[in-house]
Amino acid sequence: MPVEAALRSARVRYGPLEALHGVDLAFPSAAVTVLLGRNGAGRTSALHALAGVVPLSGGQALWRGRDLGGLSVHQRVRRGLALVPAERGVFGSLTVAENLGLGGPGHDEVIELFPELAPLLPRRAGTLSGGQQQLVAVGRALAACPALLLLDEPERGLAPAVAARLHAHLLAAATDGRTVVLAAQSLPRTLAGAAVVHVLHRGEVAFSGEPGEPLPKRFATPR
Amino acid sequence: MTAAAQLATTTDSLGLTVDLALAGLTVGSAAALSGIGLVVCHRATGVLNIAQGAQAMAVAYLLRDLVVVRHWPVWPAVACCLLLVAPALGVLLDVLVYRPLQRRGAGPAETMVAGLGVFVLLIGVAVLLWGAAPLAGAPSPLGGAAIRLPGGHGLRPDTVAQLAAILLLGLTVFAATRWTRFGLRLRAVVDDRRLAALTGVDADRVSAAGWAFGTFTAGLVGIALAPYLLLDPYGLPLLVMETMAVAVAARLRSIPVAVATGLGLGIAQAELTRLRPSGQLLPLVEAVQSNLFVVALLATALLAGPRIGGEGAGEGAGAAPLAVRRTGDERAGGGGAGGSGRLAGAVCLVLLLLPLGFRGNDLRSALLVPALALVLLSIVVVTGYGGQISLGQAGYAGLGALGTALLMSGRVPGVPSLPAAPALLIAVLATAPLGLLTGWPAIRRRGLALALVTFAVGTAMSRFVFQQPYATTGLVLDRPSFLAGDRAFYLAELLLLGLGLLTVRALHRGRLGRALTAMRDHEPGAVAAGVDVPGLKLLAFVAGAALAALGGGLIGLAGRAFDPAAFDPVRGLLWFAAVVVAGADSALAAVLAAALLIGLDAGTVAGVSAVAVGALAAAIGRLPGGLAALPVPRRRPPPALPALPPSRLSPTGRRVRAAIATRQAGRVRKTGEDGAS
Repeated sequence: MPVEAALRSARVRYGPLEALHGVDLAFPSAAVTVLLGRNGAGRTSALHALAGVVPLSGGQALWRGRDLGGLSVHQRVRRGLALVPAERGVFGSLTVAENLGLGGPGHDEVIELFPELAPLLPRRAGTLSGGQQQLVAVGRALAACPALLLLDEPERGLAPAVAARLHAHLLAAATDGRTVVLAAQSLPRTLAGAAVVHVLHRGEVAFSGEPGEPLPKRFATPR
Repeated sequence: MTAAAQLATTTDSLGLTVDLALAGLTVGSAAALSGIGLVVCHRATGVLNIAQGAQAMAVAYLLRDLVVVRHWPVWPAVACCLLLVAPALGVLLDVLVYRPLQRRGAGPAETMVAGLGVFVLLIGVAVLLWGAAPLAGAPSPLGGAAIRLPGGHGLRPDTVAQLAAILLLGLTVFAATRWTRFGLRLRAVVDDRRLAALTGVDADRVSAAGWAFGTFTAGLVGIALAPYLLLDPYGLPLLVMETMAVAVAARLRSIPVAVATGLGLGIAQAELTRLRPSGQLLPLVEAVQSNLFVVALLATALLAGPRIGGEGAGEGAGAAPLAVRRTGDERAGGGGAGGSGRLAGAVCLVLLLLPLGFRGNDLRSALLVPALALVLLSIVVVTGYGGQISLGQAGYAGLGALGTALLMSGRVPGVPSLPAAPALLIAVLATAPLGLLTGWPAIRRRGLALALVTFAVGTAMSRFVFQQPYATTGLVLDRPSFLAGDRAFYLAELLLLGLGLLTVRALHRGRLGRALTAMRDHEPGAVAAGVDVPGLKLLAFVAGAALAALGGGLIGLAGRAFDPAAFDPVRGLLWFAAVVVAGADSALAAVLAAALLIGLDAGTVAGVSAVAVGALAAAIGRLPGGLAALPVPRRRPPPALPALPPSRLSPTGRRVRAAIATRQAGRVRKTGEDGAS
């Protein structure tokens, strides 16, 4: 499986605390990768290191074989990367339509995927509920039609049916040639079709494999 | 009076009204331009460009220098100033001062302090380059004969040019924000810089453009106003700063409102010159007329409510206004318990005791140190502990001094003239409740809105109380006979400063201190934890007002006179910046700052302290928490002592040791088994 993006012995440090202790993670191209781990395991740090939101204190972030070291966040985004942060993912003072418009041209497809957003388009994003804001944040990233899509717990606040629709769309996007990395607390049932699962534990890789393999108990699909 | 004569008077009066209105347009259009600059810069960068006046002054000086001294032709010089130097200055300020702050997500207080730093620095640089003396002959690019309007009224050509500039800039900005993608990106950056980068927007470039535009308009204002004034480093910045009222009236948002307010205020100011009531009212009307923009600033800041600037400008409900978190451990500064706290205390003590060996002028300038330290302590209480921005503490200090002077001169109706000590005490007690003037607005305001209100209150106090004839003439302010000597007075001041420090320490400890800290760090959280936040804010402002009044009274007594210039609002800004730079939540740092402010000015040229504070304040982006939070080189812990040689134990001792060993071994085995299962 060709590798689209990877972290090579990547270290991330916040002041005196190191959150990632030199992890090696590979994200195969045209596939969905799920990054599992408990709170503080380093999932968000790994995604942020790929997007350039936090600098690496050691190691490399690679994308299509190229070191991302010298590129700032907006330069990576312009080259086709998109990150949906776990929190504060919308511009509260802009309308939903403007939020989606900032993402990119794929505005109509997003409305097609999430028809819930259609009546909200003229409203200011700050006035929406948490779940609706999350939907806008995900929608803005999808509207950019990114080649590498990073999502940090996108299901947070979403209705289960909407989350399932999102997962199905992500799997379909992967078959179209996009690379998706999704961080979650446990493997969602609707993402069983993911190609790879990485489990992080305390800043190190605890497991890498396929979703079918027996995962450590606490990360398995909840029944 | 015949009908014809009456008609003539009416047309005369109408003609005068029109003439005054046209004259008022000159100031009004400059104010409107300044308003456009402030609004656009705030919308593009999320920062109120408080240094706009200083930028205007710098550009005006440069233009005069190019044209008058270097004999450049006027128009190339104007183009160079406005299109090259001003935008470059804006970009430079963005890169050096504001970008580090925004990257760190600094609160409004620090951004404001950085702005004040730029303000003070630019003034200092102007003084160094061109001297402090007022200069005449600022070039007026469009000067010349007035345009004759029908009806015999004259209109200056530069006023026409200013109006045209307003129209052009307003329309350009409107079109750019409405219809271009750049406008959308700009609003995205202001809303959330980090997220904007995640949507592929180069946030740095966008805010640099905002600063370039803001400085460009500032330069325009400076060039427009300079021909009407003598160019000096202080007058023009203050004048431009007062026009902030225009932007506040527009809630830093609406350009049409800013333009309308600017023109309206300019015309109103001109028309007010016709109002000449007789008797007691005349000084008041004159004061209102010449300070109409200050009145407007106070009114608009109070009326604009808490929503100004705060909305979506990156300062969420819980954002603490200041970064006061220690880089080292919390103990270091907390109660002076750690090593660095003790060191700072020792340095303070030595610095404060040093002047007892001085004599003459040195001792006289040293008298100001404890007094100023008390004023700075009031800022520590209100801003450092309570987290409330207060730019008006100079006003309370002035009230303390003025109150003492009035009481001593027997000018308060019904009160005989009092000796100094009771007069000071009563003045402090009377000023304390006036802390509600800024405390009350603080209940519902935070950040920028609060800063504007407190600045407006302080400025209004200065203009309408301290600078009025009754306050400046015939006041007696003298020390009691037993403190007539400078050394004795200094000792008394030290005593009062000690009392003040103890009070401040009491405010920072125990239940009250925890409640204040909670309010500062997270107001909604403090409310949720049952802290009476409105009451606490009022308490902080009342305590601050009392401390400032005490300090102000001592400043007055030290100089044996009430000097309104000592309590100028700009001085209040400098004091606020000094406290934040020194480390807002450290009482000792405030005392040190007072000593340095006075010492630098007394030891070198006056104004050096301002430049030092300005440079440090402008660098606040790289200095979170002020100087007090700088990492102190920690002494290494003493090497662990070698283990004691096994002592000779009695048989009982040996049995106890064996028992402990077996019990520990058992516990280890047990936890090991638990972990394995």
